[in-house]
Amino acid sequence: MKKIIALSVITSGLLTAAGYKIPEQSLNSMALGAAYVAHTTGADTNYYNPAAMSFMADKQYVEGGLTLAHLPSNEYNLIAPFSGETEVENILIPNLHYVANAIGDFRWGVSLTAPGGLSKRWDTPFQKLYAEEFTLKIVELNPSASYKVTDNFSIGGGVRLIYSEGVVNSDGADAGAPLKREMEGDTIEFGYNLAMLYKPTNDINLAVTYRSNVDLKESGQANLYFGGVGKQYDADVTVPLPAALNIAVSKTWNNTFTLEAVYERTYWSKYKTLDFNYGSTIANPVLDSAFNAPIDKYWKDTNTFRIGSTVVLDKITLMMGFAIDETPVPEETLGFELPDSDAKIFSMGFRYQQTENLSWGASFLYDSKESRSMTRGVNPNPILANGGSFEEGGAFLTTIGMAYEF
Amino acid sequence: MKSKISKIALTLSVFWFVGCGSDLHQPTNEIVQGSEVVVDLDGNSIKTSLIEAGMPGVDESTTVYGYKAYKIPYTTTDEQGNSVKVSGLMVIPTEVPEAMKQAGFSVVSDDHDTIMANADAPTVVASTISAPAGASVILTSLYAFVTLQADYIGFGDSVDHYHPFLMKKSAANATVDFINAARKFAQANDIPLNGQLFVTGYSEGGYDALATLEKIEQDGELQVTLAAPMAGPYDMNRTAMGELSKDYLPIPSYVAFVAYAYTKTYDKDMASVFNEPYASDVETLFDGLLARPEIDPQLPNATDGLMNPDFRYDFLTNPDNWLRKATLENNVNEWGPQTPVRLVHCMGDNVVPFPMAQLAEATMNAYGAADVSIVPVEVAVTGDSATPLRYNHFECGPVAYGVAAHMFAEARHATIGY
Repeated sequence: MKKIIALSVITSGLLTAAGYKIPEQSLNSMALGAAYVAHTTGADTNYYNPAAMSFMADKQYVEGGLTLAHLPSNEYNLIAPFSGETEVENILIPNLHYVANAIGDFRWGVSLTAPGGLSKRWDTPFQKLYAEEFTLKIVELNPSASYKVTDNFSIGGGVRLIYSEGVVNSDGADAGAPLKREMEGDTIEFGYNLAMLYKPTNDINLAVTYRSNVDLKESGQANLYFGGVGKQYDADVTVPLPAALNIAVSKTWNNTFTLEAVYERTYWSKYKTLDFNYGSTIANPVLDSAFNAPIDKYWKDTNTFRIGSTVVLDKITLMMGFAIDETPVPEETLGFELPDSDAKIFSMGFRYQQTENLSWGASFLYDSKESRSMTRGVNPNPILANGGSFEEGGAFLTTIGMAYEF
Repeated sequence: MKSKISKIALTLSVFWFVGCGSDLHQPTNEIVQGSEVVVDLDGNSIKTSLIEAGMPGVDESTTVYGYKAYKIPYTTTDEQGNSVKVSGLMVIPTEVPEAMKQAGFSVVSDDHDTIMANADAPTVVASTISAPAGASVILTSLYAFVTLQADYIGFGDSVDHYHPFLMKKSAANATVDFINAARKFAQANDIPLNGQLFVTGYSEGGYDALATLEKIEQDGELQVTLAAPMAGPYDMNRTAMGELSKDYLPIPSYVAFVAYAYTKTYDKDMASVFNEPYASDVETLFDGLLARPEIDPQLPNATDGLMNPDFRYDFLTNPDNWLRKATLENNVNEWGPQTPVRLVHCMGDNVVPFPMAQLAEATMNAYGAADVSIVPVEVAVTGDSATPLRYNHFECGPVAYGVAAHMFAEARHATIGY
């Protein structure tokens, strides 16, 4: 039980990028809005561009961070009693990164992150029928290695070991439907990541990274209730942690000011249906119709444009970032479990060099989600078919971190 | 050294995460003594379903009570006198006024109609779909009766036993033993019963209801306020003679089911009654896995194709034929009930024709019945004795239950006060 609580604290309820992917996994990446691929400097290099480990000084790097994610309420506005809002959530999310000494032209590192996550909890009658709780927790252990091909070109790659848990609760009692679902599942999956870094000059870095798609088949049990009587079924549902391609360029002036631009393509089109499977037939036709029918998603691939700037002063490094983030969710398949919308991301942070080996800092990110109006008659959900709009939401993330080099 | 510590910490963290796992609790169903809750629905949900299903007379203004069903295991006795572990469905109304609880619930023993698949047994249906099915919705949710539906021997918990189809001893035993088991269950679980008992059932259930009433009157332990058997083949001898005198059987499974049950009960050779391959197949056809629509196509409609012609001829002509005598032993209309009996029957019944009710009425009156009469369903619903409306056997069921429930409710109002 203690373990389960610990894991929940680590990953639940996060939603800082479009879909349920979380790009920001360290103090620097949070401060730069994940415009942190070509010009990486700490132990988190292992995660953001393992090829760049080849160009780090020959010593060991370790860093850890803790993020407080504050997720304001997300509102759905139609007319009473169909309007509703999600619960406010505050979640702590740690991260840990390590880069080892060079071994010839090779180098390795390892990261422990939460690369994705989602939690929507509605407590209003008609939203609870679909997503009283919809939580996806993802933890990734990512060991990587790099190889310096030439003095200005390196390649890297790693293995993605993913542990994930999913919770889906639906309750129609308050909406007059005697239906309830409780489902928990988990899975261990594997993927890979690839990276390259090219330094045409001392002050320009060109980088490409790729993280593979990992299908998360959450397997466990589901309790399905019709009225006051429930039955337990073996159950599973699969959602993708999508592949992502990052192309980045950075330019540094006078070893002081660095500007980095990142283009990210996220292959969300892998997510076509949300299809719950049960180990035995659901004999009740109402339950079968409500909880066993595949739900179309047909998400689309997205583009994200990020820009980050870093200023290195005597003992303080200042960072700022900005990103434009597309939602992958089309209006036709938007659901209460993830009422996503396009967003603009603003971020800033600092790192203070306390000693030659030790630095610490803090960063802040604001994920500003746009309101999303639903066109009447477009979405098949019986509530959303009436139109309405999603407002508020977004996220405020504050990270503190510490790094040590030895 | 520091490097080693880092590696160990990371390794531990992997095990930490992997060690977590899904551990969903079991469904939080209500726990009761001596039973399990298999359906629990509120009145509004049932009302919505009834309105969507186009149930006549139900609209938003109708009072619809909640529906809670229990599967109760109990023991009864089969035709050979052996104990058999069986099951039944007890349905109670919920969300009822406090005054109704104070007065206690009246009970309707409702014997179900002919089924051949175990999947159609009351407790199996309720356990499978967790939803109301059949007449108990009318009796419990619309009229606030506690409804008892025995699965019968051969279904539910006793699916491994053959079903003694249309045999009065075991039918009455299964029903009366269930009434007693349900009373004990109610007492143990604080379900208020007022002691009032009504008896009904449709088709096979109509036959069983009259058999049940006869046993209750013979035993003298229970008292029935009003019995309303519906569309039952009360005179088994006349029924069998009628069917076997036909050369064409529109629904051959009925005749085959009766012949199989009687042959098994009276320990006779299947091959002397059925032609092959049916003599060999009936054991499998009626093992509870198949429903009637799946069985009928496997049987011939020609009577002499299904039955041994020599046996059929003997049955029709020889008063000492064992099946002929057995059907006589299983008539349920040859006695004089002292309980008021209303024989509810549709004039358009095409499976158990209306004259069967007239025959039963006449026979029971001849045996000194206190108060037996026929309630033609079409007349009851229209109020017109000359109505041209006719319901066939399958259309008649739901309407007949409405008529019976209304009669029981009037009797309850006159005696209990609500």
